[in-house]
Amino acid sequence: MTEAALSYPLTRARLDNGLQVVVAPDAAAPGVAVNLWVDVGSADEQPGRTGFAHLFEHLMFQGSANVASGEHMATVEALGGTVNATTSSDRTNYFETVPRGALELALWLESDRFSSLAITAENFEAQRQVVKEEKRQRYDNQPYGDLLELLTAQHFPPEHPYGHLTIGAMADLDDASLDDVAAFFDTWYRPANIRLVLCGPVTGDEGVALAERYLGGLPARPGRAPRDVPDPPPGPPTVVSVTRDVPHPLTYLSWATPPAAHPDQPAIDLALAILADGNTSRLHRRLVRHGDLANEAHSASLTHRSTRSVAALLARPVEGVPLPRLSDAVLDEVARFAHEGPTDEELARAIAQYEREWLWELATTAGRADAINEAWLLHGDPGQVNHHLADVLALDAGAVAAAAGRWLAPASAQQLHYHAEAAA
Amino acid sequence: MIRPDVTLSQAWHFPTPTVMSLPTGLTVWHFHLPGQHLATFELVLPVALAAEPRDLEGLGTVALHAIDEGTVSHPDGRIGELLEAQGATLHGTARLRYTTFGGQAPTRRLPEVLRLFVEVLAEPEYAERDVAHHIEAQVAAYDSKLASPGPSARLALRRELYGAEHREGRPAAGTPATLGQLTAADAHAWHRRHFTPDGAVLLVAGDLPDPAPLSRLADWVGPGRGSGSTPAPAPDGRSRIVVVDRPGSVQATILIGRRSVPRSHERWPALRLAGHAVVGAFASRLNLELRERLGYSYGIGGGFSPGVGESQFTVGGSVRTEVAADAVARLLDGLELRDPFTAAEIDDARRYLVGVAPLANETSADIVGQASALAAAGLDAGYMNRHFADLGEVTPAQATEAFREEVRPGTLTVAVAGAAEELLPALAARGLAAEVVDLRD
Repeated sequence: MTEAALSYPLTRARLDNGLQVVVAPDAAAPGVAVNLWVDVGSADEQPGRTGFAHLFEHLMFQGSANVASGEHMATVEALGGTVNATTSSDRTNYFETVPRGALELALWLESDRFSSLAITAENFEAQRQVVKEEKRQRYDNQPYGDLLELLTAQHFPPEHPYGHLTIGAMADLDDASLDDVAAFFDTWYRPANIRLVLCGPVTGDEGVALAERYLGGLPARPGRAPRDVPDPPPGPPTVVSVTRDVPHPLTYLSWATPPAAHPDQPAIDLALAILADGNTSRLHRRLVRHGDLANEAHSASLTHRSTRSVAALLARPVEGVPLPRLSDAVLDEVARFAHEGPTDEELARAIAQYEREWLWELATTAGRADAINEAWLLHGDPGQVNHHLADVLALDAGAVAAAAGRWLAPASAQQLHYHAEAAA
Repeated sequence: MIRPDVTLSQAWHFPTPTVMSLPTGLTVWHFHLPGQHLATFELVLPVALAAEPRDLEGLGTVALHAIDEGTVSHPDGRIGELLEAQGATLHGTARLRYTTFGGQAPTRRLPEVLRLFVEVLAEPEYAERDVAHHIEAQVAAYDSKLASPGPSARLALRRELYGAEHREGRPAAGTPATLGQLTAADAHAWHRRHFTPDGAVLLVAGDLPDPAPLSRLADWVGPGRGSGSTPAPAPDGRSRIVVVDRPGSVQATILIGRRSVPRSHERWPALRLAGHAVVGAFASRLNLELRERLGYSYGIGGGFSPGVGESQFTVGGSVRTEVAADAVARLLDGLELRDPFTAAEIDDARRYLVGVAPLANETSADIVGQASALAAAGLDAGYMNRHFADLGEVTPAQATEAFREEVRPGTLTVAVAGAAEELLPALAARGLAAEVVDLRD
């Protein structure tokens, strides 16, 4: 068997209240991953209310009818489990991995907060401050902390659903109120908007029965309407230059790429890897190892569910090399790549690396549960995890070159020149 | 709905490796982990960075990072291409007391990957331009650390705890001044002296029922002279409050710490539990106070982390500048542990530290990471199971006493990266005298 044929049997069910369940049994796993994706993210926020989906995620740990503030996390940890939550543009994810004997308790904890969330004014205020500290720690107090915001602004106008960061704006966090909590819960936290994946030593029948027992009682409500997100208006590529107190200058070249589930996305990933992933990549060989233009080059891909995604190449110049010159050199390599396509060896390497990274993502029950939920939300099919790698392995050089030609055209690259103050 | 009962199963055990001693002096720990199709391997070289010449610090890091840029047989990046084609990735860290170097690859490709890994170990090219590239990368990384609050606070704390005169008080990867002196010849010399199988340990884990591929490692022959030597321990550091000035910073990044006892000390199990209860858990005393009650911080974390021959106790977190002095005062106050630990606190800590072990050791990388730390400290893989048993014996009174003995008021060092102009007077107003330090001194 090659790893490409690696397959996880999945049991799928929909409860009467609309909540959907997938069970991925793994008898040998050390614990059960409980992974809930709520179909709401920062792309659902209104202007002036940014950051609320994420703030709300924090509030989900602040107590419910039978669970005190903070008790959810403390309880799971004291069972030898791990627990947390994350929010993105597209979804809010609550997850814990617990010993099999604590699975029912974990589902009960979820059931309690999804049916009787109870937030006090004091808890709300404390979490507002915690989230503001999170924003400072991740962005405002870090070198290059505004980079993601600048990049986003090159692709989306501020009022666009994807035009702001999930963490939100300080002013909006200050304006958020306890009164918003009930309405937000009522609008979004409905069973029909929840996907539950259980992965670990639990059979399909057991898992579905447990989901029914603990979450089947949530009142049925209509699920959300699909997002109607306009693609951002096409504009001419821009060159944005900023100067900041950072140690090094950088150039970011970025492109609008298709939504996350678009069939070209894997080929774009391979193209970015061949261009800029590691010391064997084209940009490293041509600009770093043999070019004396850059000291490092990397790629990044920020995929979106309901609108265009963003792919980026970044490079740090050798001292004295102006950012426009480095940017041109990067674009020359991208153009050459789209024209020539990858060599057989380059493609084989990129695919071998992709395979390892994919196996790594699936190596833990928590990682597998999350990959299943992602496949489910983006592709409408949790079973996509079982053929994703085979799809990637089937890509040929022509497909990768075509994707690069279509989505990474040098003439449509947005440029962000991030200058360092001292060197300016 | 009634809160369900929990049934926890029997104790989990850290896997037992098959240990092989090769004629070259290399010891191999082989963990067969059914179902783990991604194998992890890591070499532990017992070389302390104290072996670097004082004016060439960073040499261990550069020699390690440049090692896989080319080999004599496959120069100019070719070896990297061959490794990547096998789905392998390599990574390494030159730590102050030992160096690790290893990687990951699909298990079915491990035999070929280990053959290439041996080639990397045995015949690195160290081309001038590759070494120069890695020197530049380390200089850039140094500048990035000094520009970032967390790494700045860590560098400052380490310098206080070990002293700038001791190797462990200085940056592991050197400074621009020392990195600027390095040459490819130095990298070659470091490699010849310290990359030798004699005295090294190789950890391999994955779905590998057959140990035959590991025999490849016997092909790695070095100069045959083990380089392990124990550097003189650093004298006790200073207990003071230092501030790394970051004018205009919206947060202060606080790191409090002290050096502490090694794993072998009788108090160690009690300290692990105490550290978790004070600052390790989400529901730790300090996180509940500063995050959940006061909303000062995104999170306060820390605990006792073991090393070679000693351990470190640390407490850290970032808070907005306006409340930073109050946060430092509250953290120091909490660490005085006026209220003894309750039975519930110690039971929860124990259940977490023992109970999370199967999840924390789910992958081949987890097992190798843990085993690597043990091998570096001269311990066998059975240590983990003895440690779990020891944790079961600690009483709340023992945890309280151990923590109070070890973390005595006045023995802690505080490093804060933030806006000195605001922090100094605010700290002084609480009776906390602080001094500004310059990491570039």
